[in-house]
Amino acid sequence: MPDYGQIQVGAGTLDARLVLGLAFILFLLGALGVLVRRNPIVILVCIELMLNAANLTLITFAAQLHNLEGQLFALMTMTVAAAEAVVGLAILVDIFRVRDVEDVDELSELKG
Amino acid sequence: MLQTLALALLLLPAAGALVLALTALTIPRTAVRLIGPGVVWLGFVCTLILLVDSLQNNTAHDYTYWTWIKSGAFNLPVNLLVDRLSIFMCLVVTGVGGLIVTYAVGYMDHEGDASYARFFCYMDLFIFSMLLLVLAGNFVFLIMGWAMVGLSSYLLIGFYYWRYSAVAAARKAFVMNVIGDIGLILATFAIFVQYHQTTFAGVFGALPKADGFWIEVIGFLLLVGAVAKSAQLPLHTWLPDAMEGPTPVSALIHAATMVTAGVYLIGRMHPIYDVAFWSHSTAALLGAVTALVAATIGIVQTDIKRVLAYSTMSQIGYMFLGVGLGAYAAGFFHLLAHAFFKALLFMGAGNVIHSMRDEQDMRKFGGLWKDMRVTSICFLIGSLALVGIFPLVGFFSKEVILGDAFSKPDQGGFPQVMWAVGFLTAILTGFYTGRMWWMAFWREAAPDRPVAQPHEAPPVMMVPVIVLTVLTVIGGGLQINAGFDVGWRKVEDFLAPVLGVLPWAPRSLEWIPTAATLLLGGVAFLLAYNIYVNHTWRPWSAAVPWLQRLLERKYYADELYDALFVRTMDGAANAGDKVLEEPVLDGLPTDIGAATRAGAGTLALTQSGFFRTYILVFVGGAAIALILILLVRATS
Repeated sequence: MPDYGQIQVGAGTLDARLVLGLAFILFLLGALGVLVRRNPIVILVCIELMLNAANLTLITFAAQLHNLEGQLFALMTMTVAAAEAVVGLAILVDIFRVRDVEDVDELSELKG
Repeated sequence: MLQTLALALLLLPAAGALVLALTALTIPRTAVRLIGPGVVWLGFVCTLILLVDSLQNNTAHDYTYWTWIKSGAFNLPVNLLVDRLSIFMCLVVTGVGGLIVTYAVGYMDHEGDASYARFFCYMDLFIFSMLLLVLAGNFVFLIMGWAMVGLSSYLLIGFYYWRYSAVAAARKAFVMNVIGDIGLILATFAIFVQYHQTTFAGVFGALPKADGFWIEVIGFLLLVGAVAKSAQLPLHTWLPDAMEGPTPVSALIHAATMVTAGVYLIGRMHPIYDVAFWSHSTAALLGAVTALVAATIGIVQTDIKRVLAYSTMSQIGYMFLGVGLGAYAAGFFHLLAHAFFKALLFMGAGNVIHSMRDEQDMRKFGGLWKDMRVTSICFLIGSLALVGIFPLVGFFSKEVILGDAFSKPDQGGFPQVMWAVGFLTAILTGFYTGRMWWMAFWREAAPDRPVAQPHEAPPVMMVPVIVLTVLTVIGGGLQINAGFDVGWRKVEDFLAPVLGVLPWAPRSLEWIPTAATLLLGGVAFLLAYNIYVNHTWRPWSAAVPWLQRLLERKYYADELYDALFVRTMDGAANAGDKVLEEPVLDGLPTDIGAATRAGAGTLALTQSGFFRTYILVFVGGAAIALILILLVRATS
């Protein structure tokens, strides 16, 4: 069995595959949520989920490769995610001011 | 000092035109009355100062202000040529022009405020263009003035732009004038290619001493310009139609100044024409033929302004005859005389038209001798000057041309033939002028006269007419030799530094043709009385109706040009429309537009507006990309 690498977690070690598998499942959940759910708030939450899945892979590889750049990228992603959440929520609040939206499919005025 | 003055002379009317153009809608009428003629009179004062200097110092100035273009061999300065000839022309343009613009203050008074300002804007623009034409010291500025004169003529003929006939006449005049412009431009190209000079001084210094191919080409091309501007055959048809413009315009542009630009051009280019024998003689020939043809047409016209238009063509034909034979000073003396008496005649006719509620048909006039005595006297004096009756200015100027032509030594007798044509024209001139005078002024009032009690023109119109009448009476005193070798010749002496002296002496027998011209012209004038007033004679037209029809249709020149050029162009344009315009130039962009629109419609279907569809495509695309990457990894 090939060595997929161990990562240092506290005092013990952990197989990197487990963490990456978790990240994969999280991302899949997020992506499926964006695709199937219609509530705009839930879609935003799912986007956050995908971003955090990506973050998890970043810090996993950072730990595995002993390279701090991955952690830095994770920090940057969090910043961007925060900004994105703010903008996304602000847009939603504005939309809700005009009308009550329960389904993003109702927001299709910009179709060609 | 004088250098600045020459520039001021040129730019004053331009400034006036600019001010009037920018403020036409708001400026009060009094200000227009001041600015319009004011700038022209200021220009006249400038010209007088230049004249005094020229008389005292007898020097020609070529004022160079700055270099405009310098590119390789092409060197174009901004220079004004202030010599005796251009001062002479400036005197006519600003002096007679000033009188006419002043006259227009009264004549155009019934126009609305905006039209009033527009009229004087155009008039000042014309004066500026004409001054640029005569003051230009190089060919490029000459072309500019030449073209701008055509433009202002176009604007003024089409002044009543709501009348279809006026617009058509303006367009006709413009197109004909552009033919002349092209001749002048091509001549300038030929000159530059041959002599690599743009200034008059440079070109004249580089001219060859003997006749040759290129000098003849240049001479003929310049002649095209001169003929078009001066309404000589075969580019004459625009001038009678140009009478659609207001009467002061006819007086200023189509009698006194612009149409004499061709004479000026030949005079200014005399170093070229002195060498180019054939084009020079062609100028004389065209002038003589035009003089005769226009006089015959003038006999049958019934519109008083058209009679004057044809007589203008005829008299300019005399000037071409003079300058074409090398009697330059004679041509320019007649130019001056013609400016006096023809402006007088046009403004006299303007007084009549003004009081007749814009009626121009002479058959509906009559009885004006009783009702408009002052205008009638002035008009009579102008008419007699046109016929060439002693001692009015027309007698002296016409006799100088005819006398010089008669006396010019030539193996083939060409000048003598030209003289004979001029002699015949002088008799016809007497007849048609007499017809106009007796018909419009002397005989009993026509039953359908538009106004029963016409009133005399207001003082602002009367004063310029009277001033010109005085000039017409005393102007002959400038040059009293009338082709003889006696008496002074002030015009010829004045212009001699530029144009040189007449290279041949008058003949001793010259008094015979002079007396014959005077006598027969006067008799023809009086004979018209018998036909048109007391009807003792049958009208000549009753005997030869076909001739009358031929003359009334102006020798079918309009019809001929219509068939030759207008129809041909129309046909070519229509064919081009069907073959090229509609399927290719118009069709192709339309097709491209339609295809783009259809493609965009199809593509727009993908923009469903459903947010989740986009995400699906996005995620699916990412998944496919991922799978591809993994596959590539696995196989390599």
